[in-house]
Amino acid sequence: MGYQEIKQYREQHIHKQVNHRQLNALHDEVMEQTVQLAMEKVEEEQGKVPAPFAFFLMGSAGRSEQSIWSDQDHGIIYDGNQGEKEYFLLLGEEIVSGLEIVGYERCEGKVMASESMWTNSVADWKKQVTTWLEEANWQSLRHFLTFFDSRVLIGNQHFLAEIKQVIFSYIKDHPGVVSRLIDNVGFIRKGIGVFGQLLPEPSGQMMGQINIKTTTLFPYINSLRLLAITNEATKAPTLDRFTTLKRKYPYLEQYQSLFQSLLEFKFRFAQQANNYQEVHYIPLKQLTKSDKQELKQYMKKGSALFSQTKKSLKNECSKW
Amino acid sequence: METVLMDNLWVIIGTFLVLLMLGGFILLEAGSTRMKNAGHIAGKTIFTAGIGSLVFWAVGYGFIYGEGNWFIGLSNFFYGDTSFSGDGLSPAVDFMFQMMFALVALTIAFGGFAERAKLSAYVVFAVLFSALVYPVVAHWIWGGGWLADHGKQDFAGSTVVHLTGAMAALAATVILKPRIGKYNKDGSSNELAGHNQVYTALAVLLLWVGWFGFNGASTFGVSDAFFGYVILNTQLGAAAGAVAALFVAWALTGKADVPTMLNGALAGLVAITASCGFVEPWAAVLIGVIGGIIVVGSMKFFDRARIDDPIFALSVHGTVGIWGTISTGFFATNELSVGMDWGQPGLFYGGGLEQLGVQVLGVAASGVYAFIVSFIILKVMDKVMGGLRVSEEEEIIGLDLSEHGSYGYPENIPHPSEEQAK
Repeated sequence: MGYQEIKQYREQHIHKQVNHRQLNALHDEVMEQTVQLAMEKVEEEQGKVPAPFAFFLMGSAGRSEQSIWSDQDHGIIYDGNQGEKEYFLLLGEEIVSGLEIVGYERCEGKVMASESMWTNSVADWKKQVTTWLEEANWQSLRHFLTFFDSRVLIGNQHFLAEIKQVIFSYIKDHPGVVSRLIDNVGFIRKGIGVFGQLLPEPSGQMMGQINIKTTTLFPYINSLRLLAITNEATKAPTLDRFTTLKRKYPYLEQYQSLFQSLLEFKFRFAQQANNYQEVHYIPLKQLTKSDKQELKQYMKKGSALFSQTKKSLKNECSKW
Repeated sequence: METVLMDNLWVIIGTFLVLLMLGGFILLEAGSTRMKNAGHIAGKTIFTAGIGSLVFWAVGYGFIYGEGNWFIGLSNFFYGDTSFSGDGLSPAVDFMFQMMFALVALTIAFGGFAERAKLSAYVVFAVLFSALVYPVVAHWIWGGGWLADHGKQDFAGSTVVHLTGAMAALAATVILKPRIGKYNKDGSSNELAGHNQVYTALAVLLLWVGWFGFNGASTFGVSDAFFGYVILNTQLGAAAGAVAALFVAWALTGKADVPTMLNGALAGLVAITASCGFVEPWAAVLIGVIGGIIVVGSMKFFDRARIDDPIFALSVHGTVGIWGTISTGFFATNELSVGMDWGQPGLFYGGGLEQLGVQVLGVAASGVYAFIVSFIILKVMDKVMGGLRVSEEEEIIGLDLSEHGSYGYPENIPHPSEEQAK
């Protein structure tokens, strides 16, 4: 089977998925097939894989929160030395080309296994995450937060878990960095105006549409990621994070079901999207009166969740 | 005699202030448009002021203030009156002050040309607007024409200067059509953001100060220090406009948009221009607030109507110019209208609908005249000159290079050949 066949398979099935979970299971299946094929191709040309490795996903794929269209965010961890890096970068390039053919756009921010920053040995990855946290500037924390929403798709699960342990112990020793992480994601784009009206894009191709990703989803995703970092929760999907963390933070209970229905709400409207850009937008015209009320509720509750999380984290970290 | 000389001095100071407003327009237009057109936009304001000055001297002043009929004046061409009776303003001082208003109206009209009209279109329209459009409206209201006979109130030119300029800008905008990239196929519009908000903010401050000459010196004297009152109202109108527009932009879009706030300040100034000598300070605040609110609505309206107005001239000077003129029909006090022998009090001061009617009539007649005549002039120019708009390539490369051969910011713009090489 070639990339084209996998693409066809994707196209045949993508619109048949009935809910958010099924859709993400299909994405995993398609991406896994693509990466397997890429590995075979590189093995044919460059020989056998020189070291054990893990191919992991980040971003919405890492969180299992992809819509019908998605871009690529991934990296490689290998258990070897610097000399083997070239092989894995070549593998990364093949994976990127394969995924692009199959229907996943290249990542604009170059968070891809073909880039030197995102393909490293276990030892280098440990250094990398520590350096990001030590530098603690806007860009390095962005990279760190991107990395943290990670999940192994193919390969050895332990490598990623090991690196996450390094993160957790760094955070325990340096709780001050948590407030920098909070600030890094603290800006929430306003989705509701002073008259209680929804605020769509005022101009451009997406004029009249609401950006559901930045106005609505982000506060939930960011809140749970921050709690996961400080509570040593390794799983990346936001819903899994809710399940793990609500024992310690009972206030999360009400937001979990809300987030679950928000994902289905987004799923319902993203079906008509024609490309990656469009999946994040909902035309205001398509929303009924009750849809609008529902969306506003998600936005308001998202902001409340973020405020509460911020407060409780600042409180906790000050006691560490 | 001393007071008379001070009157003359005050009006010539006002003249300088109004001329300096062209500096404000240079910064306003350059800041509100893209870098590749900055040198062109700034430079054209200077040479069209040159053309406007010569035409005003040759025929403009005569068409406004010459002996004539209800429609137009017909004497005092090629002006050169050296006399001074010792009473009132020296004719040359008065002439210079009046000329500045013509130049401001012309500059406003060119807001509708921004980023896409040929240089030659500016040259020809500067001549024809300064001869055939502005002087006629100015004659009707200020030169003893038919609207002056009705007692139309326009203290410093909401209608004569701002609305007339804006109507010409509207005609130009309609004929020139939107800039490349402004609208998408599905009808949605893109924001072609101006390249320098600092320029735009400085422009507003410069215009604001210049407006003290525009309105303040329209008292034509210092004897009763009435100019202080006029300037007070001007300040309040501008302040209220800025605050109102910022609030409305924030309430509607969730963003405290800087260009919108700046347009609010200008809207306050335009709105108070007609009424600054007729109303009380509280009314000046209200007139400014309403100006600041409607300018935001108007900007949205034109954008939705696919009328591309890069400098927002149609909204700031047109829509708000109309509001400013009509506002005296509501707020003119008895003391400052009948007491000054200029029209009737407004609706809220027991004047009934009479003055309001005169103001509406004045706006409608002046607006329609300015639009139709400008439209005809531009259409004829379009035919004769083989189009008013630069080619698509020239528009993309920028008017700095296509019309003048050098960029306003040579260091910051990659040469087209370098771009192709990439």
